[in-house]
Amino acid sequence: MTGEALRSENLRKVYSVRGAAPVEALAGVSMTVRRGERVSLLGRNGAGKTTFLKIASTLLRPSSGTVEVFGVDVDRSPEQVRPFIAVVPQEGKPFFHLTPREQVYTYLRARGLPRETSKARTEEALQQMGLVEIADRLSITLSGGQRQRTMVATVIATQAPLLFLDEPTIGMDPFARRDVWESLRRLTERGSTILLTTHYLDEAEALSHRLYIVERGEVLVSGTAEELKRSVGGSMQVSMPEGAPYIELFRSFGPCLADGSALEVRVDPERLSEVMEVAARAQLEARMEPVSLEEAFLRAVGRSIDED
Amino acid sequence: MRTETVLPTRGAFRGLPAFVWTEVLEQAHEQLATATSMVTQGVLLVFVYILNPGLLGVALAGAVIFSTFTMGQRVLNEAAYIRIDYKANDLYLASPLSPEAYFVGMAGGILVVYATPVAVLGVLAVLVAHLTLADGLLLVVVAGTVWLFAASIGYILSTFFRDNRAIWAYSSLFFNVFGVLPPVFYPIGLFPEALRPVALLMPPSAAAALVQGAIGKATLSSGDIVLATLGLAVETLVVFFFAIYWARRTVRGV
Repeated sequence: MTGEALRSENLRKVYSVRGAAPVEALAGVSMTVRRGERVSLLGRNGAGKTTFLKIASTLLRPSSGTVEVFGVDVDRSPEQVRPFIAVVPQEGKPFFHLTPREQVYTYLRARGLPRETSKARTEEALQQMGLVEIADRLSITLSGGQRQRTMVATVIATQAPLLFLDEPTIGMDPFARRDVWESLRRLTERGSTILLTTHYLDEAEALSHRLYIVERGEVLVSGTAEELKRSVGGSMQVSMPEGAPYIELFRSFGPCLADGSALEVRVDPERLSEVMEVAARAQLEARMEPVSLEEAFLRAVGRSIDED
Repeated sequence: MRTETVLPTRGAFRGLPAFVWTEVLEQAHEQLATATSMVTQGVLLVFVYILNPGLLGVALAGAVIFSTFTMGQRVLNEAAYIRIDYKANDLYLASPLSPEAYFVGMAGGILVVYATPVAVLGVLAVLVAHLTLADGLLLVVVAGTVWLFAASIGYILSTFFRDNRAIWAYSSLFFNVFGVLPPVFYPIGLFPEALRPVALLMPPSAAAALVQGAIGKATLSSGDIVLATLGLAVETLVVFFFAIYWARRTVRGV
């Protein structure tokens, strides 16, 4: 076993499309996920996130390149990899005519877990996902969010060493999302590793040790949320409603954006006090706030589109 | 790493009983469906009884075979539905449950749930056609073989569907055409002589012909018996092993 849960090298996937040009979904993705990490893949729709997850979880063959899970090549030895992984599929639903309790329990049994272990883990997962009260209702009677929680409970209960979650909290209310985050944190504390995709950037930031932003099948940028924010020129932002005429005073601190009379300056936290001092000397009203991950994401992806 | 209870890396059919049970639970919630699965057979039996009551025994044995044959359509529907609508197949296929156990488990669960009305038909066949123990065993064996053939065909066909509308429109086509037109509900002697080899090579009518021959409702030459037996066995084995291969292959895209 290696110290990495997952490593991909120059992974490519080209889909042939009848009557149209082939589509390159992955154009050489290389990434690593260390054991015990929670890593998020971010990207626009169609960026290649799900394709990557499908290949890494043995459900799709790559056109070229490799993915190794715990040092085992997923393309060459999928049977060896599958006992170590569990997947929440995108838009997956539980069996409508099973209850959440039946869904989780039978899934664990189908994975080969012993009866008593399956029972205990089922109850634990139902508890964690707030499903106890509806655990014996048929899934067909549940709301979309409750069904999604059932899917997540099913996979969390496996306590598999590597979990792939494709948009795991889609359709959930904020309370349920936080239950999921807490459960995922607990799993990684127990030694599991998690690779997830999400469109909720607050979720990615709250949950992930590291993030990869993917666009058109390539990794644009990777790092911690803080590093990603810094990559747009600083993790703090100072807004001055009347600052535009004074832009030259602030250029040395970081990227400046004038919009009408307003000015925004992105700055590293260490230089924040200097910026505020300069603003005060110029008698400018100034408000500081952290740069959001969403802004960093939009800038990273937008820059890539502009470059094209 | 906590892997001590995450099983297994070997054993293609480990987890199979649990997945059979999953399917049983899923199917059993639609109890009415087990009754409606007998509608076509029931209608045909009424027609046979009205037109020629003397053929009711043959038709009942045929109804048993037709019933196990149409379980293939249920496998087709279920496999396609889970993949297209639930998108839950990935949950199972990216797990230690092998693709072949997934296919066989689904087929097995459907067999368990729908076996009860088939057993009722079988008892009626025994009573009406006065089947001996050997005849009854023969009926069970050929009907079981037809189930395996049909379930395999159903699973293979399911992988080609891309949306549910297409399933509704086409899934019954194969099973009704090959289950009703050939001599399954009526004696093979009424089938055009020139087409007899074709009927003997089609699993449902081959199975029916063997039972009809055993109970004296059809005259089969030894060549007919060999053709029907070998055809049924070989076609079933070929299709079953292809379905196993196909199940493994389609896990990672066709």
